[in-house]
Amino acid sequence: MCVRVLLVEDDERIRQALSLALSDEGFTVDEAVSGEEAFRRLETEQFDVVLVDLTLPGIDGLEVVRTLRARGDLPIIVVTARTDARDMIAGLEAGADDYVTKPLMASVLAARIRALLRRRGPGREAVRIGDLEIRPQEGLVHRAGERVHLTRTEFRLLLELAGAAGRIVTREQLLQKVWGYDYFGDTRLLDVHIRRLRRKIEANPDDPALLLTVRGTGYRIRS
Amino acid sequence: MRLTLRCRITLSFGFGLLVVTSVLAFATWNLASGYMLRQREASATRQAEVNVRLVEKSLSSPGLDELLTGLTTGPDSSILVIGPDGQVNAGRKVEASQLPADLVEHPPGRSRITVAGLPVIAVTLPVAGNAVYVELFPLQQLDRTFGFLGAVLIAGTIGSALLGAALGSWASKRALRPLAELSSAAVRIAGGDLRARLPDQDDPDLAALAAKFNSTAHALEQRALRDARFASDISHELRSPLTTMVNAGAVLRRRREHLPGTAGTALELLTSEVDRFARMVVDLLEISRADQTDDPPPEEIALDALVRNVIATRAGVPLALEPAVVLGDRRRLDRVLTNLLDNAERHAGGAVLVAVRVSGSRVRLEVEDAGPGVPEPLREQIFERFARGVMAGSRGDDTGSGLGLALVREHVLRLGGRVWVEDRSPHGSRFVVELTEF
Repeated sequence: MCVRVLLVEDDERIRQALSLALSDEGFTVDEAVSGEEAFRRLETEQFDVVLVDLTLPGIDGLEVVRTLRARGDLPIIVVTARTDARDMIAGLEAGADDYVTKPLMASVLAARIRALLRRRGPGREAVRIGDLEIRPQEGLVHRAGERVHLTRTEFRLLLELAGAAGRIVTREQLLQKVWGYDYFGDTRLLDVHIRRLRRKIEANPDDPALLLTVRGTGYRIRS
Repeated sequence: MRLTLRCRITLSFGFGLLVVTSVLAFATWNLASGYMLRQREASATRQAEVNVRLVEKSLSSPGLDELLTGLTTGPDSSILVIGPDGQVNAGRKVEASQLPADLVEHPPGRSRITVAGLPVIAVTLPVAGNAVYVELFPLQQLDRTFGFLGAVLIAGTIGSALLGAALGSWASKRALRPLAELSSAAVRIAGGDLRARLPDQDDPDLAALAAKFNSTAHALEQRALRDARFASDISHELRSPLTTMVNAGAVLRRRREHLPGTAGTALELLTSEVDRFARMVVDLLEISRADQTDDPPPEEIALDALVRNVIATRAGVPLALEPAVVLGDRRRLDRVLTNLLDNAERHAGGAVLVAVRVSGSRVRLEVEDAGPGVPEPLREQIFERFARGVMAGSRGDDTGSGLGLALVREHVLRLGGRVWVEDRSPHGSRFVVELTEF
């Protein structure tokens, strides 16, 4: 099955070069010049992943991410021009699953996309943690009987932690298993996702009772 | 050796006070001792005159001995009556021969002498024409008083000299405190911390100096920031075209077999240089960012676990890890270790040992290689930006950005540590990063 990628980028040369290189990596690439065009195309067509440059004319890249995230759990990778941590964190907070910085290489991007689209997780059995119920096969999470909407990345993150059954999972392990980073994953990527996840599954995200931080090491689920 | 300013101020205060108090002490001594001695002599003379009158009356009576014994004032005083037919002695035994002849032969007289080891005032008076009355008044008590007075004066002189030195030390420390602050601020600036400033001074003498120093430091900081921003701006502008080039290069490289011969070689050259260019821009951005402070709050990091994680993604290297926890930014430590390993690979055939050692409150991260080593004069230089050229012949097929070790140093400085390179026996070099243990 061919993976369809929507590339939202205003610089024409970058767009062309990236499409060519990503096609070489085996993806079907569609291009959009602006956020507006991206929304138009997403209404009528199906894509597997969206790449959004954060510096777009018209609708700002962050706004595009926010709108897309509000609509569903389509995987989003943001492309930031600045290494400035604020930009990257803002993109992740807006709902992106991952980020890459320019100059980005198609091979790296391809690895990121493949990791995002992987649907593997430990365990197939339904898991219960407190009032949380996770059904890996259906990809559903209920909290006190009510459905919780998680993105695919959030879901896989939760599943990795739940699969460890209360044992500590290090940041490196999480970055490797959820995002496919060999190493050098920015742990802030993980921190932002943990924050997002807590907002959805914790009664009080500021004082987590389920998803606990183990200082200096990683995280664990209260079993 | 030249003494420090503080030392000199301390010494001159001490010496000055020593001179003043010793002059005062000397004068006091002279006045007091002279006065006391004169008093004693006067009273001795008066007493002797009274005594002599009593002696005169009973000179030829047999009760003379008794009278003389009654007249003596203590066991150390003695009275002598020397007549033509012998001498009568009372109190401490004294022979006429022990007294200076001049004194005995020409009464009346008065003199301070030492008789049988005892300081005395001797008063001689003529009695009844041909006899001599001699009375010796002991000076022990006066001597003791003098001794005490002397000791008090000497102790006071020494004490005031010491007090002077202490005062000088305190005053100079106080006066030089702004200078010490200036020096520590200058050291911080020299060490790369351009935000070091002097506190405001309320002393008008110092305020001008502090203001000048601070404005100089501010200008320096602004300039460094401008330079960093310039490098960062350039790198930003280069990123977009680089993205295009790198990806177009990847597309071309995939079709390498369609370009035989010269064109193919040229293509390889082009794409590999584009890749290096991209790495350089990324490193340049990182180093200009390393100058700024957008660090997340420092966290506790298990250094041994971090090393194991980094090594797990690379070719195996022997490890010697002691458990150690440091406080800092994980990404910076990652980059430090990765860049050191890259450096070893590029210049020395790879690392042969990575160690974490704890000694006291210090933690050392060591990366050893068995390469040619780094000659002494270059050990500072290799941590400079673009210092790659300093190692003769190491350029070769080098694909590094020339910023790897400079980045290591920037990151280590931000982590509050030090980095240096030293010799490893029998050959090779050891890069040491020293941090404070949490």
